[in-house]
This record gives sequence, C-alpha cells and structure tokens, in this order.
Amino acid sequence: MTSLRNLEYEQLWLNAHTDTRAAVYTFSSCITLADLNADGDFKLIVADLGTGSTNVKLKVYKGTSLHSETALLDVPTGVVSFYMDFSEPRMPAIAVASGSNIYIYKNMRPYFKFSLPSMDVNPLEKDLWMQVREEQIEVGVLMELLNNLRLEIGFAQLSTQSQHLLAQDPTTVPSFVQQYCKVPIKRQTVVTCVTTLKKALADEKAVSCLVVGTESGEILVLDPEAFTILEKIKLCHQESSTLIVPAVLSAFGLHAVEFRIVAACRDGSLRLARRGWTESKLLVQLPAQPVAMTVSPENASITIALMNQTLQCFSKKGKLQWVVTLPAAACALCPIPLPHQSTTLVAVSLNGGLLQLYNGRQLVDVIKAPQSVSGLVFGKFGQEENALIMFTVDGSLLVKILKRTAHFNLQGGSTSANVVPGVAQQIKLQIPKKTRLFLDQTMRERDNCVMMHRTFQRDLFQLRVDVARACVQALQSCNNPISLEGAEPVKLSAQVLGLGPLFKMVITLQNISASTLIQDIGILFHFDDKMYSMEKPFIKVPILLPGVEYPYETMIRNISELALSDQIRVMVVREGQTQPVLAAIINMPVCDLLGMV
Amino acid sequence: MGLFDKLVTLFGLRKQEVKVLVVGLNNSGKTTVLNHFKSEDDKSTEIVPTVGFNIEKFKNQNVGFTALDMSGQGRYRDLWEFYYKDCQGIIFVVDSSDRLRLAVVRHELDLLLQHPDVSSRALPILFLANKMDQRDALSSVKIASGLGLDRILDKPWHICASNAITGEGLEEGVTWFTQQVRQVGQPGNRPNRTGPLASGKNN
Repeated sequence: MTSLRNLEYEQLWLNAHTDTRAAVYTFSSCITLADLNADGDFKLIVADLGTGSTNVKLKVYKGTSLHSETALLDVPTGVVSFYMDFSEPRMPAIAVASGSNIYIYKNMRPYFKFSLPSMDVNPLEKDLWMQVREEQIEVGVLMELLNNLRLEIGFAQLSTQSQHLLAQDPTTVPSFVQQYCKVPIKRQTVVTCVTTLKKALADEKAVSCLVVGTESGEILVLDPEAFTILEKIKLCHQESSTLIVPAVLSAFGLHAVEFRIVAACRDGSLRLARRGWTESKLLVQLPAQPVAMTVSPENASITIALMNQTLQCFSKKGKLQWVVTLPAAACALCPIPLPHQSTTLVAVSLNGGLLQLYNGRQLVDVIKAPQSVSGLVFGKFGQEENALIMFTVDGSLLVKILKRTAHFNLQGGSTSANVVPGVAQQIKLQIPKKTRLFLDQTMRERDNCVMMHRTFQRDLFQLRVDVARACVQALQSCNNPISLEGAEPVKLSAQVLGLGPLFKMVITLQNISASTLIQDIGILFHFDDKMYSMEKPFIKVPILLPGVEYPYETMIRNISELALSDQIRVMVVREGQTQPVLAAIINMPVCDLLGMV
Repeated sequence: MGLFDKLVTLFGLRKQEVKVLVVGLNNSGKTTVLNHFKSEDDKSTEIVPTVGFNIEKFKNQNVGFTALDMSGQGRYRDLWEFYYKDCQGIIFVVDSSDRLRLAVVRHELDLLLQHPDVSSRALPILFLANKMDQRDALSSVKIASGLGLDRILDKPWHICASNAITGEGLEEGVTWFTQQVRQVGQPGNRPNRTGPLASGKNN
C-alpha cells in the first residue's frame, strides 16, 4: 500500500538534475535563488560549508553547471539575496553572514562589509589584560581571576579573547597570552541568522532591509543602502541574565508601515517583535528546540519543525493549531507556494532521506531522496518557476521540477481519514457572556414549561388536521396533478412559455400505470373568456400508452386591456363522466406590457 | 479531383497552404525562429516573450506556411492542445543549452504525443535543437536521446541543430519539413483544406 502510494506521489515531480558529486555541504539558510544578472535566468547561490574550516566557498549555479565560486573567510551562517537600491538593471545583492560580519556581494564581487557593533567589555576584565601586558600579574593569576569573573558574569559576557583563553589547552596558554595581550581586547557578537524584510514596497523586486539575529540576543534591522541600524530589538528582558539567542528568523510586512519578526530561539521559545518595539514578546514556549520555521504570508500562521519529531503550527498570536508527528527527525523545511491551487505547502525533509509535503496538517505528497536532505529550497531556478532544490548530507545536489499538470489532492482521500483530533480541539473556546435577554428568556421558559408544551402540542395537532383536510379536499375535487385512483393513473404537468400577450401552454400527460391503456379522455381548459382567448379550449387525447410522455400544445392570448393575469384550470376529463379525472390550476404570468403596445 | 490537378500537386506546382504549430518551452527561441523566415521589412529587432500566440506567414518551396507561434510560458502551455486538431505539422523548438529543463521538455513532448488529436495522426514533427552556438549546448543527438525520440515510430520526425539568430540549420529543417508536409498533402492523404486555410491568401 505504502509503496503504491509512493509511486503515485512521485509522478508529480520531474527529476531535472542529479549531481551526486557536487560535494556541497550546506543548510537551507545558506541557499538562495536570485536573478543575479537581471536576465530572467535565476541562479542558485549556495554557501558551501566545506569541511567546516576549509573549502568554505560561495558557489553560484547556472542551471546544472557551476557558474562561479568565491572563497569565504569564515563559516557562513546565512545567505540571502535582496535588492539594495533602485538602480537599473535590477540586480540583487547577496549578503553572506559569517562570524560577526555581513559581506555584501554585488554582481558576485565584494561590495561592502558590515561589522556588528562591538560591545562593552567588563572593566575588570580589561584591567586584568592590561596588567598582564604590563607584566604586573602572572598568567596563572590571570586564568584564575578570569575563571572567577566567568562565574560572576557568565561566559557569554566575556570578550572573545578571554573566551578563547579559557578554552585553551593548559600547555598553550602562555604562548596564547603572549600573542594576544598586545592587541586591544574586544567583545563582539556573531550573527546567528539572517533574513530580509521589504522596506517600503511589497513588490517582488522592492528594496529590502536585512534582519540579523545575533548571539547577544538582539535582532537588528539594517538599512539596505547606508547599512545603519534602523531597529534594535532585544529578545530578553534587561534585568534577566540568561541570553535568548535567535536560531531561526522570519520577517514579513513592510519596514516603513508595519512588520512582524518571528524568532524561534535556542531556548525553545517563539518570540515576536513588531514595529516600534524595543523588546520582543514571548508568543509561546515550545516543547522542544526548533529546527526550521516558515511563516505563511496569508494568515501569518507559523509552521515549525521541532527536535521532538513533530511539525507544529501556531496562529499569529501563538495559539497551537495542530501537531503532526513525523516518522523521523526533521532536518529542513521550506514553503512551496502553489498559486494555481491557491495554497502553500510545507516541505519537510526527514532524517533518512524522505521528504514530506504538507498542506496544513494533511500529508499530500512524499518525495524520496537517496540521503537526508540538509538544504532545501523551492522557487524559480533558471527559466523554471517551480523548482525544488535539495542538498543532501553527502553533498549531492538534486533538482526536481513540479510538473505543469501536477495537481495535489488537497481534499485528502485516505490520508485525512486517520488524522486524530489535535490538541487544538481541547482548547477552550471563548464564548461571549450571556446577555440579560437570554437569561430572562431562560427563566420564562423554565417557569411556564407545561403551558408552553401544551400550546405547542395544540398547534401541532391543528396543523395536522388542516393538512389532512386539505388533502381530502384535493382528492375529492380531483384537484391534484397526479391521479392514482381508479382506472386512470395519469400524471399531468404543465408549462407556460412566452412573455405574452401570446403564450404557449404545453401540457404533458403520462400514463403511470404498469400495463393498462388509457383511452377516451380529453384535456379541458377552464378560463375567463374576458381575459384570455384560447386556440384549442378542448384537446382530444388518443390512447395513452404506459410510461410514454405525451405533450400537447395550445396557444393562449391575453385579450384583456389591463395588464392583469388570471388562473387557468386544466382538467383531464373522461367521456361520459361528470367528475374530472384530475385537475390543475395554472397561474398565468403577467404579460409583458411592451409586447401589447 | 481531375488528373491534371493530381499531376500539378505531384510536381509541386500548385501553391499549397499548410498550418503548422510552433511549440516549445519559454525562452527556447520560437519567435526568433519564425522571425528569421520573415521578409527583411517585417523582421522585428526585439523579441519579447509571447503572450498567448502570434500568427506568422512564410513561404518555402512553393508551400505557404501559416505558423502559430504559441507562447511557451507555463501558464499558456494549456493553449497548445486546442490547436493540435487543425495543424498539419508541428515544429518543436528546444533550448539545447537548458539542460535543467530537458526533463520538462520531455514531459511536454509526452503530453503532446499522447493527445488524441496528435496520436491518431501521422503529423510530421520537426525538432529544432536551438541555441547550438551556446557554449554548454547539448548536441542534437544527445537531445534526441534525452527526449526519447526513438520512441516515436508512427510519425515522421527530424531533429536538427539550429541557431535562430544567424539562421544556421533552419533551412535544412524547414526543407525536410516542407517535403514531409507535401507528401502528406498528396492525393489519398490530403489534409483538410477547407476553412481559413483555403481562403488564406499568400503573397
């Protein structure tokens, strides 16, 4: 069953390209697609982490071939493409965040380097380093005092130099101190994640600001041209000592109008920052650490893959919407917008090489990759609009293209049947307060329950009697369009065509008996001769065979001067019988005044 | 049809009118290919992505072609199938430098070949492996194997490498195409020539 379904799934994607020897080791945050040369041919820009210390490169793929590569100085934490200015042709810049710097590339040439502002160094620490430089204290004393300081203010508050020193092997300590005591000590934070935020226009090619999350627990919004800090949002409260470090950032809205930045932090909290805020607000404390996150542009709901093998969705206010348990640990996640089906799927890559596509909580597709996919991006690549780019842990590159005819089954057949009700259903709904009117009504009903029931019962019986009477009357006067009694089971239906004053009436007779023939009957019209004149007031009907519908037509002219309408009685009569077999009343339509003129 | 008419058609003396469909992915060079066949005065200097389709007319070896230059953009590819019915040949333009989308080309070709209006008829198909001048262009042989053209057994087809900007390779392809169309147009297998084609005036 499962294998069969997988076969069915696979047909939605075309295997466009597989390069098992690409040897690119990367994550989703270091992959971006951009129209680098402004020629409509989208390139794949990927920061290759190499071995972690060597072979760190920024690679550009044009279609299936490697277009260019640039060496990077440090391990990158994020790569984004964004438009810096309005200059023509509209070529996007590439921002590579690594260490405490952000390198901006334009036309794949280094353009600008932005360094995060340095932070204040503890005066005691500064003093210690100065004393060791002037050889007033021994190296051992320095180590001991620094260790004390660490216990006092925390490791994260020390300068980079001290941090390195404390992490050194005891044998290398003296040489390290010798080497670094000359340089002025600095405390600098590093970039943990980076994303973009549109500045003033929501256009696809509009200028965007960079949004940077730092190790010091801050979110910075940078101006795209001057690279000044436009906003500085602290993730933690001023007084609390624990640092909250953002791991994944997602920003949407416009910087100049209103924006929201959602940060999934390393301590497992989901935090929100908005325009004008200097501190973030805790949305929800997640049950596990985040792996990857996406925010839906339509309703701002947050879909996040966690380290406890679940995919969870939160509303923009942080309310849990649903939880899906994944069959394996999640490695990466990316949104797949499908404008032709007006939805956005979420692709989750799992440990082991499986890729699952979810529409909300419903699994709609499964893709198999030879290895766990660590980097996943969907978007325009080359000339293709719907390309899914995957980098596996063993460094191979896979490109799949969504078929033009692909249609995901979003209604869900068998897959949605076994979805268990989520935690969302156990959340108490907010019911509005009871009104005064409601209470009065309840009181009245409680007091007069016997009387109300009797009144209801009486009215119900009255209604039934009325119905029965009307029914008997109709049967007695044969005033119903279906005659079931006696030897003539005939069904009559009438249709009035035209706008007037000339109408056409079509009477259809049908013998609804199983085998008996009906003969010697006719159709008689009864009408006001001041109102209407009829072509054939009586129609002689030949033998009616069982089951066959017989249409009869006659023309009716409204001869009244006034634009009034009247009823016409149609009766099916039998020769030598005074009572009609059946009858119907037809309300004639008001005739079109214009037609009379 | 009289004997004279038959002879005239056989020798290709009569001016024949055929309707051909030009399809292919976006940016493969369909409009540029057709632009090459236009007279010097009509040639457009700037080619922009086609929206919907354009109708172009040109003549080759006494055969008048009415070419429907279909847009290759994903959202307009649905239109192609509506014109399969009343065309007498298909020119399929492939961007031979776009290795990434060869799978997409194959998928579109499969859709075309499986369409009832195409699968039931022996329509000649000319494949143009365009942009042969590009550095990373695939050879026409590689494209033929990549698209699985050897599977097409019931239709005459031909592939040739081309460069629509200089016009290289186009003449060869169109000469083959004209011959095929002419054969189809011979007695017993004559295409339907009623409707707009019969009245279509060609200078």
